[in-house]
Amino acid sequence: MFQNLFKSIAANRVIRSIFRVGVPRSNLQRAQAAISSFLLHVQPAKVHKNVLKFRTTLGLGLITLYLFIILVVTGILLMFYYVPSTEHAYQDMKDLEFVVTAGLVLRNMHRWSAHLMVIFVILHLCRVFYTGAYKAPREFNWVIGVGLFLVTLGLSFTGYLLPWDQLAFWAVTVGTSIAGYAPVVGNKIKYMLLGGNIVGQSALLRFYVLHVIVLPSIAFFMISVHLFRVRKDGGLARPEEPTALQKEHILSQLPQSKTYGLMELARGTTPAVGIRQEDEVFTWPHLIFREMLLFLLVSSVVLLLAIFWNAPLEEAANAIHPPNPAKAPWYFLGLQELVAYSAFWGGVVVPTLVVTALVALPYIDRKRHGVGVWFSKERKVAITLFSICLIAAISLTVIGSLFRGPNWAFQLPWKTVPSEEFHP
Amino acid sequence: MKEPLNHRLGRREFLELTLGWCAAFFALSASAMAAVRFMIPNVLYEPDRRFKALKPEDYPEGATFIPETRVFLLRKGNSFRAVSAVCTHLGCTVNQSPDRKGFHCPCHGSQFDENASVVGGPAPHGLPWLLVAQSPDGRIVIDASQQVKADKYLVI
Repeated sequence: MFQNLFKSIAANRVIRSIFRVGVPRSNLQRAQAAISSFLLHVQPAKVHKNVLKFRTTLGLGLITLYLFIILVVTGILLMFYYVPSTEHAYQDMKDLEFVVTAGLVLRNMHRWSAHLMVIFVILHLCRVFYTGAYKAPREFNWVIGVGLFLVTLGLSFTGYLLPWDQLAFWAVTVGTSIAGYAPVVGNKIKYMLLGGNIVGQSALLRFYVLHVIVLPSIAFFMISVHLFRVRKDGGLARPEEPTALQKEHILSQLPQSKTYGLMELARGTTPAVGIRQEDEVFTWPHLIFREMLLFLLVSSVVLLLAIFWNAPLEEAANAIHPPNPAKAPWYFLGLQELVAYSAFWGGVVVPTLVVTALVALPYIDRKRHGVGVWFSKERKVAITLFSICLIAAISLTVIGSLFRGPNWAFQLPWKTVPSEEFHP
Repeated sequence: MKEPLNHRLGRREFLELTLGWCAAFFALSASAMAAVRFMIPNVLYEPDRRFKALKPEDYPEGATFIPETRVFLLRKGNSFRAVSAVCTHLGCTVNQSPDRKGFHCPCHGSQFDENASVVGGPAPHGLPWLLVAQSPDGRIVIDASQQVKADKYLVI
């Protein structure tokens, strides 16, 4: 009975006008399903088998994208209650917590997805590095990825001023002061960011506009280009790709009269007709099913986190007394630890060098081996250098988060001194 | 129109292209500069950085924190001076150190001595001394926007 009902719904004229193919039954329809749908056509009709293996990417990029989607949806909902004014902002946080139905859960989801997104962007970056997936022809997509990492940090930074609590206020005071140390234009940038000399109403409004429209639009555009290029650069990186010469040879063997619309016949390193067809599977249902499952998993985890743990909210911003110790969120504590040695070297020089090195990496490391293989033995030097930098960054973050007490003095995490009260 | 493969750029075409690209470049850069300039406010609605405090005799010996302008007013007998409480490192408010002889910053551990010079931590230079004056009605006025040399006292 249900079968018949389902069939008659699928055959309905209105439904057919929306989903032209219906439920795919043949390989042709499977290909058409992927091509004729706006959302599905982002992916090719067929993908290489290694795309389906969890080991290839660990799903890290996709998880990051899902977190971004959750952030956009929860963020838009929060915007209906939040007023970016120094008088209202903190009270709106309290309203979300105590007055608005599901307000607390939405704010928690927004906060935990933001933290998770930072984690997964970093993990995704590490995955791409350790599998050598940034090598030609994917160099520029790596650069876009580095850009997206910075935009993610920018979104986090502009986002945590908005609750207007102590953490927000002092983190932004410190952050914009770091910008002030940049040579020549530093103080002008600081003045422009804050819209004045103090962290006040104009700063809150500017950070709000950056957070809700400027940076998300940039992120959306860059994510689109990032995904587009994954496809145009030949899908996910995999080992032993046929060389361009081999491909030219195969292409020249093909009859000229035929077209291969479904197969993506194209120049360069895109999957070409005739190359290991047996290794390709249909996107629908194999890949789509796995992607849906992952989305279910990610949103469930975020929801569970949001139900059981509340996002922190400190006391209302007090422009006179910083908390002691005044700490940024965990992902900036490595930077804060560096800044505690020298604002110029730690806050400007080191981050600039790190970003430059990341952007330049695919243009420096041009050897073709180890692509699509985890921890390839042929890339010992690159892997060692990257791992050292990664361990240094993690250590700085751990020291900053656990080993620093009042006045940024060294302390052991199991011997914490209670936070010092302000005494004039 | 079909163009020959080894097309040479004629004078007319060269001038047209140059003019076109220059016009586009100037139009774009002028708009970009105007947009940047737009983001820099001309008028600020920030609290006044001058503050009229109490009379000299109302302050005890040693340092008193004046929250309105984020400064420490220091009294030593008849002489007064004001020291900014805004850390020169990254803008946190410094506290008086527990021995009351200097200042330390809770954010990144900068330390300053009683004359506000740096004695430890990442601060690039000492806390500025600020202008202290006495108004005609006898009350102390602090101007946090005006820095003075680190030996200038207001002697009553």
